[in-house]
Amino acid sequence: MSVTTMLAPSTRNSAASSTSSGFVPVSRQNTITSSEGAPRSVRASKRYSVTALYLSMSAQDRDLEIEDELARVQKTLRDLKSKISSQSKKNFVLEKDVRYLDSRIALLIQNRMALEEQNEVASHFDESSEIEGGTFPNDQKTQAYGNLFYLLQSEPRHIAALCRCVSMAEIDSLLQTVMFTIYGNQYESREEHLLLTMFQSVLSAQFETTPEYSSLLRANTPVSRMMTTYTRRGPGQSYLKVVLAKQINNLIEHKDLNLEINPLKVYEQMIKNVEEDTGALPANMPRSVSAEQAAENVQVQAIIEPRLTMLMEIANTFLATIIDNLDETPYGIRWICKQIRSLTRRKYPDAKDHIICTLIGGFFFLRFLNPAIVTPRSYMLIDSVPSEHPRRTLTLIAKMLQNLANKPSYAKEPYMARLAPFVANNKMRINKFLNDLCEVGDFYESLEMDNYVALSKKDLELNITLNEVYATHALLEKHSEELLSGRDTQHLRILLEELGAAPAQVPRKENRAIDLPLFSRWEGNIDDLSAALDITQEDVYFMEAKSIFVQLLRTLPATSAAARRPLNLRKIGDTATTMKDMGMFRKGMRGLELLNQLQEMGVITDQDNFQILREEIEQELVHLGSLKEKVMEETKKLEEVYKTIRDHNAYLVSQLETYKSYLHNVRSQSEGKQRNAGKQQKQQVLGPYKFTHQQLEKEGVIQKSNVPDNRRANIFFNITSPMPGTFVISLHYKGRNRGLLELDLKLDDLLEMQQNNHDELDLEYVQFNVPKVLALLNKRFARKKNW
Amino acid sequence: MQPSRREYNIVVLGAGGVGKSCLTAQFVQNVWIESYDPTIEDSYRKVVDVDGKSCILEILDTAGTEQFKIYLKTGKYCLPYRLILEALLINGFLLVYSITSLTSFQELTPIRDAILRIKEVDDVPLVIVGNKSDLEGDRQVSKNRANHLSRKWGNVPLYESSARRRQNVDEVFFNLTRQLMKKHSGDGGAGAGSGGTAGGGRRKKGKSCIIL
Ligand SMILES: Nc1nc2c(ncn2[C@@H]2O[C@H](COP(=O)(O)OP(=O)(O)OP(=O)(O)O)[C@@H](O)[C@H]2O)c(=O)[nH]1
Ligand SMILES: [Mg+2]
Repeated sequence: MSVTTMLAPSTRNSAASSTSSGFVPVSRQNTITSSEGAPRSVRASKRYSVTALYLSMSAQDRDLEIEDELARVQKTLRDLKSKISSQSKKNFVLEKDVRYLDSRIALLIQNRMALEEQNEVASHFDESSEIEGGTFPNDQKTQAYGNLFYLLQSEPRHIAALCRCVSMAEIDSLLQTVMFTIYGNQYESREEHLLLTMFQSVLSAQFETTPEYSSLLRANTPVSRMMTTYTRRGPGQSYLKVVLAKQINNLIEHKDLNLEINPLKVYEQMIKNVEEDTGALPANMPRSVSAEQAAENVQVQAIIEPRLTMLMEIANTFLATIIDNLDETPYGIRWICKQIRSLTRRKYPDAKDHIICTLIGGFFFLRFLNPAIVTPRSYMLIDSVPSEHPRRTLTLIAKMLQNLANKPSYAKEPYMARLAPFVANNKMRINKFLNDLCEVGDFYESLEMDNYVALSKKDLELNITLNEVYATHALLEKHSEELLSGRDTQHLRILLEELGAAPAQVPRKENRAIDLPLFSRWEGNIDDLSAALDITQEDVYFMEAKSIFVQLLRTLPATSAAARRPLNLRKIGDTATTMKDMGMFRKGMRGLELLNQLQEMGVITDQDNFQILREEIEQELVHLGSLKEKVMEETKKLEEVYKTIRDHNAYLVSQLETYKSYLHNVRSQSEGKQRNAGKQQKQQVLGPYKFTHQQLEKEGVIQKSNVPDNRRANIFFNITSPMPGTFVISLHYKGRNRGLLELDLKLDDLLEMQQNNHDELDLEYVQFNVPKVLALLNKRFARKKNW
Repeated sequence: MQPSRREYNIVVLGAGGVGKSCLTAQFVQNVWIESYDPTIEDSYRKVVDVDGKSCILEILDTAGTEQFKIYLKTGKYCLPYRLILEALLINGFLLVYSITSLTSFQELTPIRDAILRIKEVDDVPLVIVGNKSDLEGDRQVSKNRANHLSRKWGNVPLYESSARRRQNVDEVFFNLTRQLMKKHSGDGGAGAGSGGTAGGGRRKKGKSCIIL
């Protein structure tokens, strides 16, 4: 392994990932290996990268807390990353709930849900509460599972093999555990790289078993499911937001913009309009026509013509944004594209470039971008289902992009051929883009390195729920025969045998989130890091010295005389040894000792003031200075991501609340019907709550107001809830006793309106926005337990 | 003026790459498409004459790609998102698998479950299609196995077809059309496609009005 390249990929991948992952220094007392002198230049560069490693490791040195700016921003970044990871796991789970309920509520609204199913849905709510923290029932198990999950995490091939044996029904929960827990730290290079390794192994198995490339990656398989889940992690989500959110939101604002170009549909609409306007159809306008007849109709053509231009313009802006954001595309997604390309080339050496592009496009567009364009709401790009026209436009845009990535056969829908210029004009561009996507480096070497370092980490931990542990264990057990038939599965076999039968899933209430300490049963401490890295004792001392002096300089007050340039290393060491801080004292002593040792070895000399070492330290400090900028830049970006994820979380939670209250309503109504009407519980009236016009306008509840500006200050609203699910909104004018207007609202109606994309609730003087009203009612009238 | 014909909405469902689009294109346009162009959503219209009666088929060809569908915890719902809301408007279903792919065959049951559940019926006009019958050598789903499924669902018509050789293509669509004609022969007039006439036991909708 060449040490030079070790850190390069992870720095490219994410500027600060190697510096912020909280490594612990490796013990190095007895790391003596060959001292064959390598040529100077190689050694120097080797030193540089390994020093970078040392520095990153010492970021968490317990001996000495460095408290400079860099350390602070690095810590902020680390915290942010872990918050994003855990939040996106929560959202992933919530999203599944909301999507489930979306469809259930649609049925409920149409009164199509039986009582027993209502109960089923209701029980679902009890499940979506947060899981408490806890510990494992017993220590021995903790250790055994710690060993098992260490093995699963560090040797992705076991999970890869498991992914290939499980059924489609089992894969979802497995993937949730794999992507959000086992490799849940989405911004930690080691976990990300291990996950991608697992991907690769599943992908190449797929290539092995697929007879012809035209059907590669098309069927719904564990691989496609993995891709879906993977693209839903933080980086994929924020990328979609960057490239799509603005465009899509622009589009859906134009609710009435109809860009239908299917002549049949256009004709139908035309007939409808004529009929509405004139009350009858002229004789030359039959109600239903064939596709050809519709396409030949002159009026239809006149309607379609400008729409084609517009569609191509819109599609072009989508495309331009996608291409411009090449660099924003998450590393993992690009790396998967690269794997697809190289696997195709290996398996089908004759495959033409455009065939390869089709396959890459099959992943990038078909599985990643286009689904988000067609159903942007499920990808947290917008907050409500778009109305009919924009929805159709989005589908058309997705079809156009799909045509670009794939050779279109206009035989299917002949009218799409009118958009051929878009494909012709962009074909070259897209193929170049798809190839550019693949231009990312590999990570194997840095991964190997990360793994060595991870071995020495004393605090490797996995936050995981009992049920996740048990479910994974159960799957391993169920498929053990297949899993253990592979090569090199001895360790897995031993661990599974020791663990015995997998426990059953525990009831929701007893489920706990635990911090499982991970450690290897087989590899000990890695004293042989230097052996593994092929470096000499000199190198090790040199790096340690460099690392120590950098740490000292970062800790010494900037005003200290010892920190003045040019650096005087002896003086720095001496200053440190006079300090009260034990950590500083020890570091200072060690630094001085190393200076002597290195001088004895002839690596540096007092005569030139230890020039080589000094220069590298100064360089390092400069590098660290710009590192701070980079870390801050990344932090800023990730804060944006975190905010998006949190906003989306708030939205999901409020959506769940709305559904909850609605369901509660329906159930209490049907319960009420079942019981005697007289026996009904006394309902507590909530409110009235008062809201000013200004307040509601600011919150977006009022989306349009006909009240003259100078009167608005005098308008206010009272909202009362006489019983759950029923609301009375009244509009008042200051000074008058009686309200100007009163409106009875049922939660059902609001939800139905929302489901049908009716956003406007008309109150004569003002127009309310339905989703915002729902949110407001939820916030104000949540009837604690009853909801 | 021509007499208004009856109109039926039918949907073609199934896993990715089983040949839904090829089948549909063969039926509607008489063309064979060799290339694989994954569908997002395509619609077709064709006037057909079956047993001397003429009607219009509105055919929606859907995405097999799972990312365009809604998959729920139970794995029960695997319809394209749009269909969840529009299922009530659909009169007939073609459920397509490929005889060369067992998993595509296994995807049919959840699809049918979802349809029945959403339409709240026990039975719906449907045809099972085992496509790519020309690839006998790669067969993974035996005729027996498919027959078993058809019986289990109450003797649902089952065909093995080849879009490539244009075998059993028309038969599949005609069979479904006949089922639809038979089912809707009672409720005269055009436009069976609009509304929930299909499926019978549709519950009355209790709607409380907004009083202004
Ligand atoms: N041998 C053979 N190949 C077929 C047959 N039908 C379709 N194919 C091939 O299978 C591939 C996929 O066909 P499509 O019709 O596009 O599949 P689909 O079900 O519409 O796929 P999605 O739109 O992704 O859901 C194409 O390459 C076709 O040429 C058939 O009957 N026999
Ligand atoms: Mg298709």
